[in-house]
Amino acid sequence: MTRLKLYTAIYVVLFVSATVQVLVEQAGLEYTAALAIIMVLSFVKAAIVAGYYQHLRWEPRSLTYLMGIGLLAVVALTVASTYSIT
Amino acid sequence: MTTDPQPGDDASTADEPGERVQTDGGVAHEDAAEDHDDHAFPPTSTVKRWFVTTNHKDIGLLYLVTSLLFLAMGGILALLVRTQLWVPRAPGTGPLSQLAYNQAVSIHGLVMVFWFLSPFAFGFANYVVPLQIGAKDLAFPRLNALSYWLYLASGVLLGVSFFQGGSFAGGWTMYAPLNLPTFTPSVGGSSAILALTLFVVSVTVGSVNFLTSIHRMRAEGLTLRRLPLFTWTILLTVWMMLFAFAALLAALMILSADRLLGTTYFATEAANGALLWTHLFWFFGHPEVYIVFFPAVGVMAETFQTFTGRRIVGRKWFIAAMVLVALQSFIVWMHHMFLTSINLQIKTLFMATTIGISLPFDLMVFALIYTMVKGRIRFKTPFLFSFGGLLLFILGGITGVFLGAVVLDYEFRGTYWVVAHFHYVMVGGATALVGGLYYWYPKITGRMYDEFLGKLHFAVYFVGFNLLYFPMFVAWETPRRNFAYEAGMTTWHQLATIGAVVFGASFVIMFYNFVKSAYAGEVVGDNPWEYSSTAEWAVPSPPPLENFPGLPSYGSGRLEFLTGDGESAVEAGSTEQAADPAADGGGTDRVADGGVAAGAGELESADDDHHESHASWWPVIVSGTVLLVFFGLSGFQNGEFGGGTMGTVYAASTIVGLVATLGAFVGMASERFTGPRGPFGESWPFDGVDNTKTGVWIFLASDVVLFGAFIGAYVFMRYSVGWTGWEPIPENIMPGLINTYLLLTSSFAVVLALEAAERKSRWGVIASLATTLVLGLGFLGNKAIEWQHLFHEGLWLSTNVRASTFFLTTGLHAAHVIIGLIMVAYMIPRAWNGAYLDDNSSVELFGLYWHFVDIVWLFLFPLFYIL
Repeated sequence: MTRLKLYTAIYVVLFVSATVQVLVEQAGLEYTAALAIIMVLSFVKAAIVAGYYQHLRWEPRSLTYLMGIGLLAVVALTVASTYSIT
Repeated sequence: MTTDPQPGDDASTADEPGERVQTDGGVAHEDAAEDHDDHAFPPTSTVKRWFVTTNHKDIGLLYLVTSLLFLAMGGILALLVRTQLWVPRAPGTGPLSQLAYNQAVSIHGLVMVFWFLSPFAFGFANYVVPLQIGAKDLAFPRLNALSYWLYLASGVLLGVSFFQGGSFAGGWTMYAPLNLPTFTPSVGGSSAILALTLFVVSVTVGSVNFLTSIHRMRAEGLTLRRLPLFTWTILLTVWMMLFAFAALLAALMILSADRLLGTTYFATEAANGALLWTHLFWFFGHPEVYIVFFPAVGVMAETFQTFTGRRIVGRKWFIAAMVLVALQSFIVWMHHMFLTSINLQIKTLFMATTIGISLPFDLMVFALIYTMVKGRIRFKTPFLFSFGGLLLFILGGITGVFLGAVVLDYEFRGTYWVVAHFHYVMVGGATALVGGLYYWYPKITGRMYDEFLGKLHFAVYFVGFNLLYFPMFVAWETPRRNFAYEAGMTTWHQLATIGAVVFGASFVIMFYNFVKSAYAGEVVGDNPWEYSSTAEWAVPSPPPLENFPGLPSYGSGRLEFLTGDGESAVEAGSTEQAADPAADGGGTDRVADGGVAAGAGELESADDDHHESHASWWPVIVSGTVLLVFFGLSGFQNGEFGGGTMGTVYAASTIVGLVATLGAFVGMASERFTGPRGPFGESWPFDGVDNTKTGVWIFLASDVVLFGAFIGAYVFMRYSVGWTGWEPIPENIMPGLINTYLLLTSSFAVVLALEAAERKSRWGVIASLATTLVLGLGFLGNKAIEWQHLFHEGLWLSTNVRASTFFLTTGLHAAHVIIGLIMVAYMIPRAWNGAYLDDNSSVELFGLYWHFVDIVWLFLFPLFYIL
């Protein structure tokens, strides 16, 4: 039962933070600051979904690393290719 | 005696319900109505066997034979090219028209790199890897068959492309904007790209399968440190494949969208569109070099050990070097782009990483050389080819270092220096693989090839090879992909053409030898090679259907086949270990490569209540239906099927294909099919995660790269035109926010479904899955309305690149949602029958996928709606 409560609490957190992302954009912050906050929120939400809804927290760490490697690969691609633009 | 898991045999069995009814992606029926007749396994002499087989050895053979056919196809194209190059030609003269020449060059490259090299290597991988790791089969035998049939289907589509107004003519690298219909307008051009897309799907399925098998299904005691080197190279190859091919899939999907739907990613008017293609292509393309070369390294390592009677020198450093190369391969791709508009800083950085990647290769080459120095060489045909391959690779590798230097590349780029270099590397690798063919021929056929003809083949091959490719270094100033060149270089090109004929003819000797020896060759026992040291030589030639006469184990330090009572029944007879244990790695590593060998004894595995299935029609059926879809889609241009008869044919093929594909997948999912099950000895690093779940996670990792590449493409395009000047396409944020809520809630519903299943609440499962379905449909409906509004505002796929990225990326996500909903729709009726109460793993696996789709949206929503 406690597990179900945890899942429900997570659902509420995800729901609220999606709303917060929209509010941040409308709060009139500087663009880069808003961008940073919104993207950090997205990563946090993704980590929560992966960790709890996909049970990564309770799985062998190797699965987390596996996903991390995939993420690292595309971050490398995105950053390096964008940086290469003259 | 039995190989069956005993209760309490292995702690992991208890936690892994998935392995009891391993169904390879499908689901096990509880109704026992179907009997084993469905899986009656015809003998190899029947045609039916080869359509239904899911056994890894059969599939391996199918891969080998098919890839050799593609070698012939690519070879004939190459001979056409060389004929055209006999003398410098003016456009329109010679045997080939200009466009025919361009097609021959392009498809020769595509066929050799994709449809020959990798599948040829994977023929061996299929045949040998399960034997080397001590498994009865791969983790998902039906998916393995599916990989093969999709591969064949993609090759058929590539062949068909020649008859659709000409195949793709823009070079194997498919550079933008030449790859767009403006410049390569033929339907066949689209077919070739779709064929490659289908090939990538096959590769992805195969990678997931091999990764799961090699990591999870090794025999007891066969740790990664002790893994045979060929299996090591395949392991690293499939890891690179998993991530690299996902990036290629993204590139090809975007290209297909540009060609079929009219998105404008790679169009000239979009800033940096052409550069985006080179980034996506070479991010795949450089790891691809090692993807095709590593299996050849594996063959070299195995044959060097067997024919020098010496364990490889510095084995663990050899392995470390390969791991390093596999990692570094992902950070060198821009050395293919030194003449694009990328900036000097990044060129310098990538020059450094490129020079850096040659270092571990040096170590591997020297390890092989010292192995020869320390051992005693027996010049059998497999060794000759491996050794020849090493020499050719050394030359190819050294000439590549020139190209890795920015300044030299300014001069060499687009010349025959490049052509000669990569043929020495790639065909050098193929040379070692041909050695592999001779090496494993007696294992596969049970008969020995003719040694004299083998050596003759090598001599003609090696002379032909160098006569063909070495003159290209001399005539390096010839422009690549062009049939006009300076008259002064004619002699060199004529030498190369003669070399090509000699080289091609050498394969006739090989085919003659193999066909003749299959009937008349000397019959061999388990182990025809004196110093072989891997497990495939410890079983009969050819190996029996389920490979081993018991459960293979290295637990005692040597290969044994355990019987059901847990006692060691048969110790695999051992050949002398030539390796000096003290010299390299210490005593416990002595049997590192399997320890092995002949005379496993006549141990019959007693029948048990676990019957593995070996036959299924569904892989070939699915491939056929998917081929229909892809063939139909090739006729789709600018968002519509053309008019006329062919337009109707293409439209019909697509629609019929889609419906049939859906039916075939449902059929495959419903089929009762039992794959290999545990307990498995070594499963690091995925102990405690069953095969199917491991497979799903590995697949999701490749999906991360697919979506990541799409998002990367968006970031790249947006940054290149000015980040802040790029407004989100939807002016109204609300549909996106509502969809976020819908998707989050649907994810929560799937969580509830799993909870309900754990509590054995049938209605809970049904209600939760139904909620997921309704919310998912709501998501799609909401999106449809939003897109319709945008369309009426004049914003659509082809409006501009900003709109293209929005519609294509969120469209790809919507496609994932649709696939998820099809799965839910399949699961609800089964839940109604109470399917998931005893075994809820299907709900859990579906959840993994669905939550992943949710996570992707968590990034798409801010990127495409808010920022």
